[in-house]
Amino acid sequence: MAEHFWWIVHKDLVSEFRARRVWPTMLLLGVVVGLVFSIQMDLLPGQKQRLVGGLLWLAIYFAGMTAIDRSFTSEREEGCWDGLRLMPVAPSTVFWAKLVVNFVALTALEFLLIPLFFVLSDVPLWANAGRLLLVACLASAGMAAVGTLVSALAAGIGKGNNLLVLIVLPLVIPVVLAAAECTRLIAEGRMGEPWWRWLQLLGAFSVVFLTAGSLLFEYVIEE
Amino acid sequence: MDHTKVRVGWSQVVVGSLVAVLLGTAILAIFCFAPTEQTMGHSQRIVYIHVPMAWLGLLGFMVMAVSGVGYLLRRNLAWDHWLQTCGELGWLCCSLTLATGSLWAHEAWGTWWEWDPRLTTSFILWCIYAGILMTRASVEDPHQRARISAVLAVLGTLDIPLVVMATRWFRGMHPVSPDMDPSMRMTLFFSVVAFTTFFAWLATRRRVQIGLENLATQLGRQIEPQANLA
Repeated sequence: MAEHFWWIVHKDLVSEFRARRVWPTMLLLGVVVGLVFSIQMDLLPGQKQRLVGGLLWLAIYFAGMTAIDRSFTSEREEGCWDGLRLMPVAPSTVFWAKLVVNFVALTALEFLLIPLFFVLSDVPLWANAGRLLLVACLASAGMAAVGTLVSALAAGIGKGNNLLVLIVLPLVIPVVLAAAECTRLIAEGRMGEPWWRWLQLLGAFSVVFLTAGSLLFEYVIEE
Repeated sequence: MDHTKVRVGWSQVVVGSLVAVLLGTAILAIFCFAPTEQTMGHSQRIVYIHVPMAWLGLLGFMVMAVSGVGYLLRRNLAWDHWLQTCGELGWLCCSLTLATGSLWAHEAWGTWWEWDPRLTTSFILWCIYAGILMTRASVEDPHQRARISAVLAVLGTLDIPLVVMATRWFRGMHPVSPDMDPSMRMTLFFSVVAFTTFFAWLATRRRVQIGLENLATQLGRQIEPQANLA
């Protein structure tokens, strides 16, 4: 099982590094959205700290969806999906492998966008880099779980791909909201009980979405 | 084939009449029995419609999720018909919740809409309902449609705690269990019961209608090849 898992992860990452189809678009879109948002943030420093969390996570969401959207569509287009289904692999293994690839994509995006946003909004980043990394990991896991599941659904529908962004955002809103609030509190330097409660909420929803995704994936890929 | 039993007789007329009487009594109680609130005046009576609609919006989603799990376990399209029924009615109730809430907010807060946590989470619920109904509309195969709807309904239900707990987890303007006169509380309770009964009655009617539509489609598919051969 572990061998198949790593094989799928390796296949997806190598094919992306060779063809460079999705990641450059995703990263460029993230930077463009970040710059557009920063143009609108001509505010006092205190006001920037309040806005940076929400804008950062919306930029990550919209840019990240371009990569997540392609995670199953490319398999179907190139006939790889039938091969994957014929392999003696548990559906949950495919789900976790795809999820890890999407998690890596989102993490790469965050490594680019978080410093960019913090530089553009004059907010100190390094003082709480560890906490921000924790928030980013939990939020990426939650977003990747829902995104991977809905991406598989959308690829199965065929013509329903444009529904992905529309459906995923309302579903994943608890994760985006909690991540945005955690980031805002970090930017404001408030590490007390509210931050801890938002982090718990973020962790709880991410774990719930990961579990639900793993259980439901079997039904998603039926044909 | 789906053997939907259709019974249209006196029992339906009697049940329908009882529901109408219950609903009529609730509306009478809202306008005649409940006292007029001192600060907001008559516009406070929106609450007696708003609260039942909000409850039914959540109930619809929970029944959708149960129907979804039922379909995934049993693979019987009857569960999907319940899912569609509750999806449509729940979406309607959710829309009415937002509309009546907006009317109430205009009178109480002086604005039609505020990005309050409860309002925002209710809007998210509305979006999830709309997303599921739109996805259903884009899939033709009944079993694929049922499977996809079931997965989305179960996934969407995970957001229900956020909607319910929004006023407790986040600070906002939306009232949380305000003190009410006993007669107001009784009217509200009666209104919730009456609208829930109406919801259940509408759901059973719509469920029968969807079953008949499904039966007609299946019959059409059976007749079409024979007609082409002839």
